[in-house]
Amino acid sequence: MEKTYTPVKEDFTLLDRQDLYTDKNFASQSYWKGVAIHFFKNRRAVIGLVIVLLIILFAAIGSSLNEFGYRDIVQYRNENNKRVVAKGIAPQIPALHKLFTGEEPEGNFGSYTFLFGTDDLGRDLWTRTWYGARVSLLIAFVTIIIDMIIGMSYGLISGYFGGMTDNIMQRVVEVANSVPRLVIVSVLAIFMPKGIWLVIIALLLTEWIGMSKIARAEMLKTKEQEYVLASRTLGARNGHIIFREILPNTIGPIITQVMFSIPTAIFTEAFLSFVGVGIALPMCSVGTLIEDGFNNITTLPYQILPPIIVLALLMLGFNFIGDGLREALAPKLEDM
Amino acid sequence: MKKLTAILLSIMMLLACVVTASADDASYLGVMLGTNVMSLDTNLATDGDSFEVIADCIDGLMQMDKDGAAVPALAESYDVSDDGLTYTFHLRDAKWNNGTPVTANDFVFAWRRIAKEAGEYAYMLDEIGNIKGAAEIISGSEADLTTLAVSAPDDKTFVVELNVPVSFFPSLMYFPTFYPINEEFYNSLADGTYGTSPETFLSNGAFVLESYTPGTANLSVKKNPDYWDADRVKLAGINYQVVGSSDNALTAFRNKTLDVVMVSGNQVDAAKKDATLAENLKVTGAGYMWYLSFSQTEKNAEGGMLANANLRLAISNAIDRENLVDNYVMDGSLATYTAVPPQFAASSTTGDDFSANQDAFIDYVGYNPEKAAEYLEAAKAELGKDSFSFTMIYGNNEGDEVQKVAQAIKEDVEDALPGVEINLQSMTKAERLDKMQNDNYDIALTRWGPDYADPMTYLGMWVTNNSNNYGFWSNAEFDQLIADCTTGAYISDYDARWEAMFKAERIVMQEAVIAPLYTKANANLITAGVEGIDFHPVALNRVYKDTTK
Amino acid sequence: MIKYTLKRIGMALLTLLIITFLLFVLVRIMPGNPFPSERMSAEQIQNKRAEMGLDDPILTQFIRYMGNVLHGDFGKGTSLYYGAPISTVLSTAISNSFRIGGIAVLLGSLVGLLLGITAALNRGKFLDGFCTVFSILGVCVPSYVFLIFLQYTFSFKIPFFPYFFDANRFLFSSVIPSVSLSLFTMSTIARFTRNEMVDVFDSDYVRLAESKGMYGRNLVMKHVLRNALIPIVTVLAPLIVDLLTGALVVEKIYGINGIGKLMVDAIAGEGIDYNYVLALGILYSALYIGIMLVVDLLYGVLDPRIRVSAKGKEA
Repeated sequence: MEKTYTPVKEDFTLLDRQDLYTDKNFASQSYWKGVAIHFFKNRRAVIGLVIVLLIILFAAIGSSLNEFGYRDIVQYRNENNKRVVAKGIAPQIPALHKLFTGEEPEGNFGSYTFLFGTDDLGRDLWTRTWYGARVSLLIAFVTIIIDMIIGMSYGLISGYFGGMTDNIMQRVVEVANSVPRLVIVSVLAIFMPKGIWLVIIALLLTEWIGMSKIARAEMLKTKEQEYVLASRTLGARNGHIIFREILPNTIGPIITQVMFSIPTAIFTEAFLSFVGVGIALPMCSVGTLIEDGFNNITTLPYQILPPIIVLALLMLGFNFIGDGLREALAPKLEDM
Repeated sequence: MKKLTAILLSIMMLLACVVTASADDASYLGVMLGTNVMSLDTNLATDGDSFEVIADCIDGLMQMDKDGAAVPALAESYDVSDDGLTYTFHLRDAKWNNGTPVTANDFVFAWRRIAKEAGEYAYMLDEIGNIKGAAEIISGSEADLTTLAVSAPDDKTFVVELNVPVSFFPSLMYFPTFYPINEEFYNSLADGTYGTSPETFLSNGAFVLESYTPGTANLSVKKNPDYWDADRVKLAGINYQVVGSSDNALTAFRNKTLDVVMVSGNQVDAAKKDATLAENLKVTGAGYMWYLSFSQTEKNAEGGMLANANLRLAISNAIDRENLVDNYVMDGSLATYTAVPPQFAASSTTGDDFSANQDAFIDYVGYNPEKAAEYLEAAKAELGKDSFSFTMIYGNNEGDEVQKVAQAIKEDVEDALPGVEINLQSMTKAERLDKMQNDNYDIALTRWGPDYADPMTYLGMWVTNNSNNYGFWSNAEFDQLIADCTTGAYISDYDARWEAMFKAERIVMQEAVIAPLYTKANANLITAGVEGIDFHPVALNRVYKDTTK
Repeated sequence: MIKYTLKRIGMALLTLLIITFLLFVLVRIMPGNPFPSERMSAEQIQNKRAEMGLDDPILTQFIRYMGNVLHGDFGKGTSLYYGAPISTVLSTAISNSFRIGGIAVLLGSLVGLLLGITAALNRGKFLDGFCTVFSILGVCVPSYVFLIFLQYTFSFKIPFFPYFFDANRFLFSSVIPSVSLSLFTMSTIARFTRNEMVDVFDSDYVRLAESKGMYGRNLVMKHVLRNALIPIVTVLAPLIVDLLTGALVVEKIYGINGIGKLMVDAIAGEGIDYNYVLALGILYSALYIGIMLVVDLLYGVLDPRIRVSAKGKEA
């Protein structure tokens, strides 16, 4: 008589041979180590990194490299007891000076040298440029990192679940984005002291939306793709699919968006000063320096250059880093 | 890429074809406005630019001559009763540009309307002009407009009755608030449309409105051939253009787009250094004075610290006003050491400027760091406190130089007064005013412009409980002096009144109720060959009736 | 699809109503006074507030306001262009800003796309580098600096274009502001297009198409661009809203009577003009919501696989 054998749970035990399943060659280098190797092989990425690090270094120490403070007005009294203020001095880098004034740099103001010249209050622009860079970098980094976390999660979740969830989440976005920023900021300023943190909060409130829109669009594009379906069939949970499977594949546009958020954050900070919200004078930022320079653009044209050049170099650096990261994070077959 | 260039080029060529020959009549004068014209309705206009355009198009009873004195315009002559309370104006023959004659009723209608609507400048009728019945209508306690003591016995006679004699009453008549509006025309328009287009606006003045819409950045007026004094007007018209920045104004002038522009700060400096531009530069008084207001109430300034006169004097003496105007404002503004700024109020008996002597209060105000330090020591002893931290508020939309001045003041004060810290806080002008009116500030960088040519336009501000007394300062002696000047003992004795006002000013300065900073000037660039623009610090900043190009 | 669209429009209107109410409340909290004055007595100001109904309960005010708005009446300014009805001032500003912004959108997105495609097709070569530098400059240099540069060069040094905006010569005088406004959009779009296209070029289906012998324009148009368009449209949408609603400094410098300047004047002028802030806020929201609606519907057109809804019931 034949007996039907019903398998019991104990029949299946894991062999104690995990090495069987491991591809040693692949696992010997961790994911991040691979990314790093890829990144540093890319020459442009390295140049970008150097530029950005240099700017960060100068922002950190540049304003204390000479004898001027960012708010010091350089002046002395002449024999008639009148003040002579070192304002509106063109850059004293010989080549630049010649370009703007058509003449060789004359004697310095006293024994001082103003590498980038001075502003129309008589303050050293070298010091103020790097001081401004410090303020702007702080504002830009803090807001962008927080925005990226909030915006990306929001957009990915909204796009992944779709339907009612998406509908409600998108309406919230619309409400948040539709109230003009100047209105939100003015109201916010009643409840918070004005200053750098108010600027950061104001930027946080609106800047995450762009990021969430990109993330959502990427999600919509990606979620119907085969590997997502495969992952879902294999029983992966939503969190895993969103953040481990899809996120790395959407990193490209997000990095581009992050980079373009930097100048936006810097200029928005300066724009907020129209409603009287912004960093308190005599502090400065790259945005306010550009605006100050703009007010005198035909009469003192060199004033606007240092902040714009710093910003442009920063962006160039970030673009190179961004490209490097994209390639390193999502390596294509031929790169392996 | 080639294709792209080709497309761009063809777009350019297409555009070049669209260039129509609408080049402006060369005989028009191109004039810069600093801000948009807010309204052409005399009841609603509050800014100098609006007043200027209104005055181009409408004449009042009186007008300003080139020195700012009141001379007859629509009124051929006027009589004053012996008690100084009744003015009778005799109107000349003049026409609105729709052909109807200007009558005394046009004034009655316009003035009643001002009182009824009770706008910003309604106070010219009651507080300044002291017209009988005005105060009741403006405050809303009297609804019957006929109680305003203005009347038109016939078409050519206009009579006004006052509560008290007002020595400068005729000179108020050139202020746009007192201009006429044709009742019949006004009533024929839909509600809210008066003065919003050339069709809905009537002129009786030197120019008629040619193109205008509310909010526009450019508008034009053209010569009025039916003006009663048409022979005097030489210009074919004026093109007004709102210009947003001083730098842009300079380029627009160089480009000959505009004939008359105002520049400030660095652009004045640049113009001075340029040989051809320097010849075109003309500095004129703008009238208004910038000053620091100190809140003296308990709830502000670390528990009312600024109620201490020595502390206020210390701050006032720490500021180098010459440095402010020479290095930062740069447009010819005058460092000011009196509570009433110079150049707008001259005595009608002696002709002397009320504030000609800027050294009058040199014991209390002036740049003197040592003295400032002494005042500070005295204040520290009196208050039992060694360090002070105050916030200074200023408007971010009140001219390029304001934030430079604010920063320079901070540096001066902190240099001269160890232990005193000034934090700058920028805000919109609206918010600054709001904070001052609600007494929610420590120190404010603020300004006041004269509405009429009498020192009282300033001194009246510091009377106890006056709504412009932002420091909440109060002094019985001062109040008494002002009361005597406006309604009491000195009202009919011109020289005694003048002396009393001087005494009152001394009290303000002794106590440093405010710290005067500078009296604003305008640095104008005017194209060579353009002559005869009358500049005034009060009421009408620019008048073009005698202008030639 | 029609049902879905109708439902979305309904939702959009509801959102707009919520936003309007929110604005209505927020504007009343903002610092500043709707009747700014140094010359009116407290009594006069109180009378004016009462006349405008500002002392009524907020809901009463809101319902009254919405009633008026539905009749096309946005009220009058209280501290800005006082006398004139807002609808007349606004309509001029809208027509100016929309037309200038519209040209900027077209120019920015078309040239941006072209640049991006060119760069992607020439990856790593000179044109790619040029595109990178161009887009970096385009986002680093604010539009108003471009404006001054163009104005200085083409209206002053070479007096070809008018120095200030002139509504009578609309097309001609909008070249300078439109071009300067379009550069940010152009750079952003160029960069996104380039990066998206590069990603798509590397994807399996393009490789498949290539291996099937598809090359050149056909491949780019049929496969690459279409797939790259989704993120591009997403980036473009808010840029369009920004461009259409004007740019303060550009309008101020070039003398354009537009929405951007109006908004700042309403908030940061002499006082807070409740009616102007509200009218402009509603306009801004309506635009934004409308464009987002279009974008969501476009997603489906660009890529039929995309379903915004969960289970495809509604698509």
